[in-house]
Amino acid sequence: MEIRVSHQQGRVPVTVFHVKGEINTETHEQLQTQAEQVIQTGTRHLVLDLAEVPYVSSYGIRAISQIFTWLRDASPGESAETVSKGMRDGTFKSSHLKLVNPSHRVLAVLTTAGIDMFLEIHSDLEQAVASF
Amino acid sequence: MVARSIQVSAQVSNLAVIRHFVDERATDLKANRKAIEDMLQAVEEAVANIIFHGYRYRPGNIEVEVWNEDDMLLVRLRDQAPPFDPTTFPPPDLTFPLEQRRLGGLGIHLIRKFTDRMIHRMTSEGGNELTLVKKIK
Repeated sequence: MEIRVSHQQGRVPVTVFHVKGEINTETHEQLQTQAEQVIQTGTRHLVLDLAEVPYVSSYGIRAISQIFTWLRDASPGESAETVSKGMRDGTFKSSHLKLVNPSHRVLAVLTTAGIDMFLEIHSDLEQAVASF
Repeated sequence: MVARSIQVSAQVSNLAVIRHFVDERATDLKANRKAIEDMLQAVEEAVANIIFHGYRYRPGNIEVEVWNEDDMLLVRLRDQAPPFDPTTFPPPDLTFPLEQRRLGGLGIHLIRKFTDRMIHRMTSEGGNELTLVKKIK
């Protein structure tokens, strides 16, 4: 798996991870580690571009969920309780992490895992960057 | 003709070996591409659970057998890990953030989603035999 990083400007600065390859049991830690690094150096708005990701396993889902948690914890005003309540109500979507262009197969895994319950999934990168 | 079964050590590095074997066998058996990809998704989840939760990183082997019966593709995974029946594992509450859910629940949930049936039995040696079934026609 490879991750190319770009920085784009919408209403806020947005870091984009262009991921190429599977996010699976073997590769998910690489995604987590790289996300942790950019969050530690100040990234607060991140887009995962999944256009070249053919496959995501449950460990890939865990990595995405961990990245969501880190970004949430780095942002005041979004407590775990607020998020949990919002997810149950169907009113919460992360304002820090968004996904773009998953394939049909990857989208099926994301929705089965309930990721779409708390992350926006866009079909256009520019639209995703502008949505923050 | 690809062999019907393989045995590998339960290591993360062998996930790709197992997936490749299942892919080749299922293709040989004329399963359609979507069914194969669904089965590969389920196999990775089941094997990861054996490695991390069954053997808990201790040495052990996994036997993988692939065959067809009528319009079904079957993959059987055998291990010598402590008995665990994933068919009895409850589905995760998706309204909980992932860090609050039980470990392994999501993998089993994906197995259920991408296969038509999951059958578990204990082997005579005290390990597990998990058979995944997917309709291919």
